[in-house]
Amino acid sequence: MASFGRKVFLSLGRTNVSGVGIRKTGNGATYATALTVNSSSTNKDLPERGGRGFVGRRPKRDPGEPRTEKMALDQDWTSVYPAATPFRSNAVPLPVRMGYPVKRGIPPEKKGNLELIKIPNFLHLTPAAIKKHCEALKPFCTEWPSALDTDAKCDQHFPVKIESTDYVSAGPSVRNPSARIVRVEVKLSSLNLDDHARKKMLKLVGDRYCKDSDILTIKTESCPLRQQNYEYAMYLLTVLYHESWKIEPWEAEKTRADMEEYSWEDSTSQKNILDTLLRINAAGEGEGEEAEVRKQLLGREEVQEYKDSVERLKNEEASESNMLRYKEAVRKVLKV
Amino acid sequence: VNAGLASRTVSRTRSPIFSGDFNRPSAVGTVANTATANRTVYSSVYSMFRDNEPDTLFQKVVVLVKAHDRAVLDSYEFFATMAAKELGITMGKVFEPPKDIERLTLLKSVHIYKKHRVQYEMRTHYRCIELLHVTGCTAQVYLEYIQRNLPEGVAMEVTKTAVEKIPDHILEPMWKDQPIDDKPSK
Repeated sequence: MASFGRKVFLSLGRTNVSGVGIRKTGNGATYATALTVNSSSTNKDLPERGGRGFVGRRPKRDPGEPRTEKMALDQDWTSVYPAATPFRSNAVPLPVRMGYPVKRGIPPEKKGNLELIKIPNFLHLTPAAIKKHCEALKPFCTEWPSALDTDAKCDQHFPVKIESTDYVSAGPSVRNPSARIVRVEVKLSSLNLDDHARKKMLKLVGDRYCKDSDILTIKTESCPLRQQNYEYAMYLLTVLYHESWKIEPWEAEKTRADMEEYSWEDSTSQKNILDTLLRINAAGEGEGEEAEVRKQLLGREEVQEYKDSVERLKNEEASESNMLRYKEAVRKVLKV
Repeated sequence: VNAGLASRTVSRTRSPIFSGDFNRPSAVGTVANTATANRTVYSSVYSMFRDNEPDTLFQKVVVLVKAHDRAVLDSYEFFATMAAKELGITMGKVFEPPKDIERLTLLKSVHIYKKHRVQYEMRTHYRCIELLHVTGCTAQVYLEYIQRNLPEGVAMEVTKTAVEKIPDHILEPMWKDQPIDDKPSK
């Protein structure tokens, strides 16, 4: 079909100007293809110059008809282009055109077209070729274990995630220094930590822990090789774990300011509210045994609500709902 | 094409999958039936597992390809997705991050003429292919296949997220059996 199209195309009116390389297209616009192969007539002129041209150059053979004419429709294309090769216009039976057209013209044809040779082509990777390659590669692949189909199961059985990047590019060197970076991510809930150990671990780790997702990330790039960075990251994880279980003698001096969360017991807020309530009650009736009265007041429901609202305000962000809750609690306690 | 692929990989090979074992069929060349050839191929796979080293598991393999031409990336994406489907790898998202254009303005002339400049730009197009739940062997095979057929002028970054069990020495704290004031060095 391609050859029939070509014959029609040729018969549309091709001026027989030899040696210059001007072709007329189907639409009638002309353009010069400076990149075409010299016709045989110009070749014979060169040796006559003697000395200035190519000395001892043999006259070129006729190229003959292109291979595309002889190609069958049901041929095996994977044997025509088995590997990545530049575009050969006489081996590809497609009527491809590429390039910028002249005014009122069409893009140049494929014969002698440098644009088609420059751009990488995927003629060696047709679907038939890909299927053949994959059939040959199938024996080397292994299957993913069927028991780990969801991400949750993966996290449960394999909580440690190691991320690394490989780089492929063309350049003076194959190596890329960023390939040595290793990131190790662990969920703290999957490690065996008790309360004190967890708090100490968070203090040791600082910024590397994300509260929302409960993931500790250790990024290592101080060693020159990826294997070294991975081993260093695992060493850091081990040291952090064991150090956080250790209880040093100076940890007993932990003050209120070092606490991670706000706790209402024995705080100034508790003292204030109890003092206020005592004074309100003392104005009404006189009573003895302050400690008992304090305990009684603590047990009251409004005081508990007040405690809840203050804790929420301090530990979480100050939002509208939290402030409203605090207002209600204060109102109830002071009976306003 | 099978023989062609084998002969091509022998000359420039680094991975343990293709190394050396393809030479065996030629040594056995006189008895060359496909049965023996297949047996040598399969034995190379089993020799890897003979050391009882468990296969790494990759939860996610992200392949980012960068090029100056969008059309080249389109074709490459078709090739990569088809190869993944044929090899039975589950695909995540395949998307196109927005392109980057780096522009620079230089003086047009060698000397003076400050008001006349010329501007160049470099466009980098991206394509991202995510593969989910890949084993180490499959990832090695697929990535080597993809990378050998990477067109000229195209760069690739592969980010692999491997999953592992917690190492044995982090399961229990080492101070449990020893008193705390001892402080043994690790």
